[in-house]
Amino acid sequence: MAASSDYVTLISSDEFSFIVQRSSACISPAVKRMLDPSNGFLEAKTNTVRFDNINGMVLEKVCEYFYYSEKNENARDVTDLDFPTEMCLELLMAADYLDI
Amino acid sequence: MSARRGGNTIRGPRSALTDFLAANNISAQQIRDDYQRRRQSAADGGDAGEGPSNQAAEQNEDEALAVAAQAEEDEMKTKKRKRSEKDAIDNIKKAKSAKTSKVDAKKAAKKKARKADPDLDESEDEDYEVDYKKAKPAPGQFEHCDICNKRFTVTPYSKEGPDGGLLCTPCGKELTKDMKKEQKAQQPRSVGRKRRKVESERLDGVATGGAKTLVQLCLQRVAQHHDDVEELGDLPPKLLERLSEIFSKKRVMKSKTLPLFLRPDLDSVVVHDAAYLEEDDYHQIFAVVPNIKKLVLSNTCQMKDKSMDYMLERCHELRHISMYAANLVSEEMWYRLFREAGSKLEVIKLKWLDAAFEDEAVREMVNCCPNLERLKLKLCRRLGQDSVDYIAQLPALKHLSLQIGREVSNDTLVNLIEQRGPHLETLSLEKFLDADDTVLEAIHDHCTHLAKLRLSENDTCTDAAFAALFTAWANPPLSFADFNSTRDVDNNNPTGPEDEPIGLASAGFTALMAHSGPSLKHLDIASCRFIELSAFIDVFNGAQSYPALEYINLSFCNRVDTSVVAGIFKSCPSLKRVVAFGCFDVQDVVVPGGIALIGVPRAQDAIEQFGVGIGVEEAIGRMVEVGG
Repeated sequence: MAASSDYVTLISSDEFSFIVQRSSACISPAVKRMLDPSNGFLEAKTNTVRFDNINGMVLEKVCEYFYYSEKNENARDVTDLDFPTEMCLELLMAADYLDI
Repeated sequence: MSARRGGNTIRGPRSALTDFLAANNISAQQIRDDYQRRRQSAADGGDAGEGPSNQAAEQNEDEALAVAAQAEEDEMKTKKRKRSEKDAIDNIKKAKSAKTSKVDAKKAAKKKARKADPDLDESEDEDYEVDYKKAKPAPGQFEHCDICNKRFTVTPYSKEGPDGGLLCTPCGKELTKDMKKEQKAQQPRSVGRKRRKVESERLDGVATGGAKTLVQLCLQRVAQHHDDVEELGDLPPKLLERLSEIFSKKRVMKSKTLPLFLRPDLDSVVVHDAAYLEEDDYHQIFAVVPNIKKLVLSNTCQMKDKSMDYMLERCHELRHISMYAANLVSEEMWYRLFREAGSKLEVIKLKWLDAAFEDEAVREMVNCCPNLERLKLKLCRRLGQDSVDYIAQLPALKHLSLQIGREVSNDTLVNLIEQRGPHLETLSLEKFLDADDTVLEAIHDHCTHLAKLRLSENDTCTDAAFAALFTAWANPPLSFADFNSTRDVDNNNPTGPEDEPIGLASAGFTALMAHSGPSLKHLDIASCRFIELSAFIDVFNGAQSYPALEYINLSFCNRVDTSVVAGIFKSCPSLKRVVAFGCFDVQDVVVPGGIALIGVPRAQDAIEQFGVGIGVEEAIGRMVEVGG
């Protein structure tokens, strides 16, 4: 039953967990694949994804982006999401990894 | 009243106007005296009705104005104009109107407030307060600064503080600075600029509705702070290349930023604008990245023989060389490049070579690079027909793009296609103005593996030849077709020959879509002016589907109208962009979600229209409503 829960848990490398809507998290094709029951990953069974290469601060921003992106799906002239410049490169790596 | 603070003069009570005039360096007494003097000198002597009053303090506002007005009248009569007087009068008038309008505005605001809250009962006091104001000291007098409380001399430029008092010069400067900053922060970026930016991004294909991707946002931020970035870390090459593109576009690819893109573990260096790079920078590239396989240097106008020499010395793995505008490289160095690195080279792209690089260099290339699979030679001024003959001997060639300025005979082209055609996957012939039907025939007969075909800017090939090319062609469907600007050019006969259309026209276009429709992704038929409306309607009829088609450019196909665009929306499920500059019959288009329509002239609020989440059916439905 757990597989159909509306929320999933994302855990950062430093053990912060973020509980986010499944629909939002699945904006990332990578997360979507991990959570797809038909692929039979452990993630899909436990509804939990661990990111050993993404720390808490970056993952928080990523989650923010998930919601921001879902909210603005059909909007035009969207204002850009703001984030601290220091985080930029880490965030870029994470974004590339998650394909978002 | 606050005379002690105001200065060292002793003054009696005075009206608000007198205070104001004094503050602006205007003396009512002086105006009056001047007036008197003028009257006397005019020697009218007629009306002495208005006796001069020495009690300036009791002069009220209206009287002063009346005097001023009359003064003006008299002035007109006597034609003795004194600039200072006129200024004074203007000042009075301005001040009055400004004051009354201010008061009016305040009153109106209060009225509003009162309406909103009828219990408020302090309005009269407030009215009085508005009219009564502490006198400001005149320029030249001393005042205590409202902020730092220092004593200073008042000037006409002294700024007013937040509480109404005057400020000393340093505080005043500080205040204006702050205010400017605040205004800048508050002011939303001008709408026009923002919209331009948005449109520009759409034309670039960056933004396609919805939020930008996080990668895009981050790359944008990195580019914005290019000066502060010290290292990019282990970014994957794909992102690195993208970033390099953005840096090039922003023209910040310089000696300082170049090292960001150099890592010993990389096997490619892509710099799309190397115009700022000098000898040392080139040396750095080849020193840091010796295992380089793919080298892209555009606008590499400062690359010299020495740098090339160092490259040949250091880098032995080169597979892909792409250089634009390397005009300082000598003929001998090109020879050396091909001799020493040629055997491994698979891709060569050279553009904009004016000074060196002749047909003989091409021969050397052909002799030395047996593994060459992809070749692009464009805008190299010294190349001509012989080059094409040499290229025809390249054994492994799969992708060929040529644009040659000098005349190339049809026999040469046909020979090229006969020789290389059977293995070619890409054939791009730009601006071969005299290529005729025999070339198309050769393509039909010899090319069987083409996925990309471009034949642009030509006014010789006939529509019938195009139709024949795509009829019963052994080649699988193309995924990329570009036949832009194949049309007759004759100012005396703008509609072209009636019976035998020149260029890709109705029959050719229909045949093309019938042949390549199933896998066509990119279609460019810009300026194919003789394609009739009926052909467009037949091709994009809604029933026939083109499942892969993502991009269509039908600019300046002037027969295209709204129904064609609607038909395109219906027939192409994967469509992303339609470019339709100069299609004046396209009007009132409602664009379905996920599609960008660019360049429709009468789009009301933007160059480009972009679908906002409505389906194709709904969009067409709305269009019918609007159109009907």
